Amino acid sequence: MEGDAVERGIARRSAGIYLPISIAAALLFLTAASLMGDYTPVARIGGAVWVGMLSLIVSMPVVTARVKGRARRRE
Amino acid sequence: MNAPIPAENTITLPVLGMTCASCISHVEGALSELPGVSQVMVNLATGKATIDRDSSRVSIEDMRRAVSDVGYSVPTAEITLDVRGMTCASCVAHVEGALTDLEGVTAAVVNLGLGTARVTYVPGLVAVSQMKRAVREAGYEAQERSQGLDALDRERQARGEEIRRQGRNLVVAGAVGLLVMVGTFYDMLGPLRSWIPEWLSYKWVIGLLTTPIVLGPGRQFFSNSWRGLKHGVTDMNLLYATGIGAAYGIAVINTVFPRAGFGGEGATFFESAALLTAFIVLGRWLEALTRGRTSEAIRKLMKLQPKLARVLRGTSEEEIPADEVQVGDLLLIRPGESVAVDGLVEEGYSAVDESMLTGESLPLEKKAGDPVIGGTLNKTGAFKFRATRVGKETALAQIIKLVEDAQASKAPIQKLADWVAGHFILGVHVLAVLVFVFWFFFGYRLYFDPTSSFILSPYRLGEIGVFGFSLLLSVTVLVISCPCAVGLATPSAMMAGTGKAAEYGVLFKAAQAIENTSKLQTLIFDKTGTLTRGEPSVTDVLVYGETEPGSLTVEDILRFAAGAEKNSEHPLGEAIVRGARERGAEVSDPERFQSIPGHGVEAALQGHAVLLGNRRLMAQRGVDIGYLAEHAEHLEAEGKTVMFLAIDDQPAGLIAVADTLKEHSREAIQRLHQLGLEVAMITGDNARTAQAIARQVGIHRVLAEVLPQDKAEEVKKLQAQGKRVAMVGDGVNDAPALAQADVGMAIGSGTDVAKETGDVILIKDDLRDVVVALEAAKATMRKVKQNLFWAFFYNTLGIPIGAGLLYPVIRLVVSPELAGALMAVSSVSVTLNTLLLRRFKPSLRRPAPTEPAAQVLEGARWADVTAGGD
Repeated sequence: MEGDAVERGIARRSAGIYLPISIAAALLFLTAASLMGDYTPVARIGGAVWVGMLSLIVSMPVVTARVKGRARRRE
Repeated sequence: MNAPIPAENTITLPVLGMTCASCISHVEGALSELPGVSQVMVNLATGKATIDRDSSRVSIEDMRRAVSDVGYSVPTAEITLDVRGMTCASCVAHVEGALTDLEGVTAAVVNLGLGTARVTYVPGLVAVSQMKRAVREAGYEAQERSQGLDALDRERQARGEEIRRQGRNLVVAGAVGLLVMVGTFYDMLGPLRSWIPEWLSYKWVIGLLTTPIVLGPGRQFFSNSWRGLKHGVTDMNLLYATGIGAAYGIAVINTVFPRAGFGGEGATFFESAALLTAFIVLGRWLEALTRGRTSEAIRKLMKLQPKLARVLRGTSEEEIPADEVQVGDLLLIRPGESVAVDGLVEEGYSAVDESMLTGESLPLEKKAGDPVIGGTLNKTGAFKFRATRVGKETALAQIIKLVEDAQASKAPIQKLADWVAGHFILGVHVLAVLVFVFWFFFGYRLYFDPTSSFILSPYRLGEIGVFGFSLLLSVTVLVISCPCAVGLATPSAMMAGTGKAAEYGVLFKAAQAIENTSKLQTLIFDKTGTLTRGEPSVTDVLVYGETEPGSLTVEDILRFAAGAEKNSEHPLGEAIVRGARERGAEVSDPERFQSIPGHGVEAALQGHAVLLGNRRLMAQRGVDIGYLAEHAEHLEAEGKTVMFLAIDDQPAGLIAVADTLKEHSREAIQRLHQLGLEVAMITGDNARTAQAIARQVGIHRVLAEVLPQDKAEEVKKLQAQGKRVAMVGDGVNDAPALAQADVGMAIGSGTDVAKETGDVILIKDDLRDVVVALEAAKATMRKVKQNLFWAFFYNTLGIPIGAGLLYPVIRLVVSPELAGALMAVSSVSVTLNTLLLRRFKPSLRRPAPTEPAAQVLEGARWADVTAGGD
């Protein structure tokens, strides 16, 4: 039970880091696509979603592992 | 009471569901995060995790949960025991408590009414016999119900289930995928179109057909990757899930909302999603089919373990499970039956085939006093033998454990490959972002050609927009980069190699030993007992001053020398004792005896101080050996070992003994020279004796007069010259040198392999097995390198092509389904390449060991028949 609560805490803290990272990557892409050419809204938004998703996939395990490691060291 | 479990211990946990190298890091990560776990090593090929842990802080159940949290599972088995003697509810608690206290038992449910205990346990961690013993010790009787499967059957069952599961997925994905393909390419089918209904080419029909493929056979990739992501881990499933999901998602959008700007109806990738799933499932199915075969050798060894034994109790025979035989039990073996446990023959005569364990092709005669090994096959006569080693102590159990341990260990090259594969997935996703960004902002504008198409496909990219095109290349990179073959390359070859070597009686203790053996440059052989038989015999006896009146006789010399050596275990001493007895001399016990390592012995015998040893000993004790030295030189020039005898500090005579080469020493050394290896001989004997033996055997480099404790120093000196050195010795006297060498080979150890020092254990007393070890190691490492080459070849070639590097020139792109097919081919080709190791035969050919599996069938006739009636 206590272990589950710790896990949930770690998941929450991790999400607080990787979600902003992924959203930032998506927004960066959206801004670049809006400024750099005459892309259709669908291409811009689709691209931003894809970049955001891949960023999420990259950042999620890295951040979660780090947060978990830090929590373990603190214990 | 059960023996207390030590707090710090190592356990090996079976893990199911691992498919790639990144799975290794996930499982290792999940386990090592647990409190009390100090070290974790996971082997993909064996599907096992070896864990060093503090059992007071972490339980098996904790580890099982940690493994399942990251998407894998620890298989458990169930067994029902018939428990007699229970009368009330408290008995239930006692029996349950006794069972759950056992390491490896995860649950025990006792049914008082039925008198049964249903036990859930982790196979390999606890044996059924231990459960029965625990129940007995709690005051009840337990008997195994016949439906229990042994570990081997369970492993085969689990593998069979995986093959069937992926087979079902393949049938669905393959059959429906074919319809999707036909529908997609309907316009290009020419006259065949008249046979196919047109509605099959409608996008929404293709979409409807693709959906069950993605949600059925493809679901495993999504659920597995989601489970991993939740715990901060990524694996191959994620690559597939992203690839399939993206292709399917875009296809749905383009079908339902063709004007959304994703490329419209001309850019639906339903066939990509469907065929990609089908190819990945095909790869998984083929992999499951072929992977089990790399562990065939260990399976053969496990099959040798007899199930039943016939024990003689007084005048009656009793058939009991082989794992319940106790040390000291008298057993009866009839022709065609397998020997149940290790023991010593007490009565009878027979020929026993030991080829399945030692590789020795000819059956060995067994008479009273001879040892027999459990798992071997009795050929002709019947005999009775007394059990000396049972259960985990038997030679067969030790050999299986040794081979399993070796297969569970990691070679340095494998650690590197695992590390690369483990970090690869994230790198690939980063690459996929870069590829997408490049083609979105620059590549499409600069190079896109609407007439371009996919490789091996007439399908035009046509209407695809910038987003669809960039996404396509990004997805292809994800799929084509899958390093699944990298994870399999090394462990599969190591398993096949260690197993194959074991068939010839060569046991590698760890994967590292194989890698080190394959790189050897110099081999040092111990002389006595390794190159030679180690059983010298007395050839010359010389009496000092024999012409003088009252001088000693030859018999006196032998009598004193043999008396002094009577308690010695040195081969030279034993030869003198044997020689004295053969000549009728009476050998009496010494009053005092002291061995002087590397020099000789000192004893008190019949009131005299007796000194027997080499020149150095005589010089140290101030004994002037006079003209004996001259005679000794002549004898030594002939390769004989001379020992001087002094009685009461006066020279008395000399004894010459000679050792002879083993039958195959010369042949083995010759072959090692042919293989380009430097061969040296090391001995405590004098230089002349050593040279004489070296000449006979064909060795040019001799390290003579080296004391036992200095042998390791000599090895170190060669290593300091930058050479990778193996020491071949008997494993007892040469232990320090064996430990110092890059590879220690203990030869002629017999089947008591657990006691041996050294990285490689050669069961038989045959030097040709050194060649077998070298060739098996080289063949295994060759396979490892070939496998790694092919695994990385696919990726290094596939990734740039998949990323569209060649697109500006050739106007062709790799479709996701072709990428999936390539990855499936890479895994399968690596496994098939490994299976070629099964054809390995050493160059020094002997009659091949008899096929164990065939023999077991024959030998187990009796065991199976009686088991059936159990």
